[in-house]
Amino acid sequence: MTGKKLLLKALKDRRVKFIFGYTGGAIMPVFDEMEKMENFAFVMSRHEQGAAFMAQGISRASLSTQNPQVGVCMSTSGPGAMNLVTGIADAHMDSVPMIAVTGQVATGVIATDAFQESDVVGVMMPICKQTYMPLQAEEMEKTIHEAFYVATTGRGGPVVIDVPKDVQNELVGDDYAFDPETCRPHLPGYYYSPTPEREPLNRAIDMINKSERPVIFCGHGVINSNAGDLLRKFAEKVNIPVAFTFHGISAMPADHPLSLGMMGMHGTVEANKAIMESDLLISFGMRFDDRVTGKLDEYAANADVIHVEIDPSEIDKNVRTSVAINADVYRTLHVLVGDPMVSYKPRRRWLEKIAAFREIMAEDLKEEIEQGTGEDGRLLMKTIIHQLSNLTGGRDLIVSDVGQHQMMAARFYNYQTQNSWFGSGGAGTMGCSLPMAIGVKLARPNERVWSISGDGGFQMNAQELGTIMEHNIDLKIIILNNGYLGMVRQWQTFFFDGRYAGTPMRSPDFMFLAQAYGIPYRKVEKLQDVEPALQEAMECKGAIVLEFVCDPAEVILPMVPAGCGFDEMMVKHPNKKK
Amino acid sequence: MKRRAILAFTLDHPGVLNKISMLIRKKMYNVDTLTVCRSRIPGVSRMTITLEENDEAKIIHIIKQLEKFTEVISAKELDTEHSYWREVAIVKLEVDAAHLDEFHGRYNFQILEQKSEDVHILQLAGSTRSIDAFLDEIGQEHIIEIARTGVTALEK
Repeated sequence: MTGKKLLLKALKDRRVKFIFGYTGGAIMPVFDEMEKMENFAFVMSRHEQGAAFMAQGISRASLSTQNPQVGVCMSTSGPGAMNLVTGIADAHMDSVPMIAVTGQVATGVIATDAFQESDVVGVMMPICKQTYMPLQAEEMEKTIHEAFYVATTGRGGPVVIDVPKDVQNELVGDDYAFDPETCRPHLPGYYYSPTPEREPLNRAIDMINKSERPVIFCGHGVINSNAGDLLRKFAEKVNIPVAFTFHGISAMPADHPLSLGMMGMHGTVEANKAIMESDLLISFGMRFDDRVTGKLDEYAANADVIHVEIDPSEIDKNVRTSVAINADVYRTLHVLVGDPMVSYKPRRRWLEKIAAFREIMAEDLKEEIEQGTGEDGRLLMKTIIHQLSNLTGGRDLIVSDVGQHQMMAARFYNYQTQNSWFGSGGAGTMGCSLPMAIGVKLARPNERVWSISGDGGFQMNAQELGTIMEHNIDLKIIILNNGYLGMVRQWQTFFFDGRYAGTPMRSPDFMFLAQAYGIPYRKVEKLQDVEPALQEAMECKGAIVLEFVCDPAEVILPMVPAGCGFDEMMVKHPNKKK
Repeated sequence: MKRRAILAFTLDHPGVLNKISMLIRKKMYNVDTLTVCRSRIPGVSRMTITLEENDEAKIIHIIKQLEKFTEVISAKELDTEHSYWREVAIVKLEVDAAHLDEFHGRYNFQILEQKSEDVHILQLAGSTRSIDAFLDEIGQEHIIEIARTGVTALEK
């Protein structure tokens, strides 16, 4: 047995089906072996960053299915590995388990500035959960299995395995033996505590029962531990409204009466106002990042905080907790849902107050969505998302890029399916949508998947149309084209006196681009054409590109300006009279 | 600024020191001293890091993030009241033997070698403060070269 065979055997033993990647000098032996083995569906991306996001798509989308998979991407040394960096850093920020295998130059020439050599372990170390470089074929299987264990236990994350070319080809001795069933990684410093301790749990229950104006926070940890149903049951049991972080969206139906929608910088008025007036935040699987809290000194000043989180280093990091429960979200919710000590309260006054918060922007938004176009007749993103939501019944999977359209998709799609909302949150990587959607579609082939991008983000990974073409990936691709980098433009409108520095953007004719890849294309400029185009995309077999010509002046509100407290939340366009 | 010592037991793997120093850099600290040695358990290293920080919460957070590394078995802060902080210095100085005699008994040092009539190589062990005091008292103008290990610490 050679190193390359053992590498692939370990991936097979871990039930890996898809490998996304791009070959090259230092990984050729593994690719050659893969061709012989016929165990894997290999998907060639057009750029290694694409492969990393496809692998993310597999991990993110499959975790709620019967067959959870860890995404695997593979690249050659030097530039190949360096092109993975953004996708890996993104997975690290968003706690997405993923395995990246990179070829490395042979051990004999490492650190001699050999052709296509770069210090992959050195570069990846601070942006992933763990790095490995097996130096003997004997270490290969053990390394891969340990990598999967580290990537998927506790708070998930990407793991990088850098494999020198000579180790890929090296033979193991005759006495080599390894049993994947019985192997246990020896990691004395690595532990996580999934089971909640009774004592803090009792204090938490006491606080929940005594609170008058509580809010539940649903973070990515709820999705990652498949606890959406339990969270809904808990919320209904105690009658407490739920606010969602960006990655908590789709854990429970968006139109649930207790749902407050997304919180934070572009969150709903009701979520942010409820947080400011709350006396208790009960947060599950989240990390209180700056886009969620705004100015920390002014954040939820009168609230106690119960923080349920698997990663102990997130507890007390940004917000001081009253009760810390370092445990798995699913297990904690399971106890809370079953515990008769946790009691129901009508909370009439609190819920009435929240109902009033809901009214603050409701009329304005409704009017805007109904109008559907801006001052010069170009389409509003809100309306497009709203119509998409109505047509699909909120049941489809949405993979968004990063920017204004992302916030529109987070806010105005009525998510009904658990784990149906995907995108780059912590890192905010433009260009993630198209390749991530490919991974999502492969993980959930029986569901309809929409990739929604702006004109800027779409062009950052537009080369993956080639992958979609080659593998006949059935993706519904929406480009919301407003000719600008919309989110930056919005900041420029509000805070830079309308000087649009570096944001106007000329795009190619997307029709020709789609045609070049043999993908059907529709351009939509009029409001009455929005619905028929979406309908056509829903009904057609295979990929389609829909370009919507959008109004660059549209803004997403409310907005809590960066570094400000929620009290400074903007609910009206400052430059508009109305 | 308050000087802090962090003790960490880590796996004796390549790259662990790199990871730890990168974390400290990322948190925007300048490492004051850092010493690594083998512990009594085979395959486990013992690291003492000192840096300056007044805010207790920030130190707790560094420790939590250190503990997150798979190679870090445990980490904690050691304070001066409940632990010994010591370092070793090797000093080459140009000083008369008679002058050096005046320091005997008051400082814990040993003459490793007398290079010439007035050039000596000494070894000092003790707290950072006592080594600093010795060097000040003897006079910086007499010192040719100095090597210090940085702090290592042990709980009482």
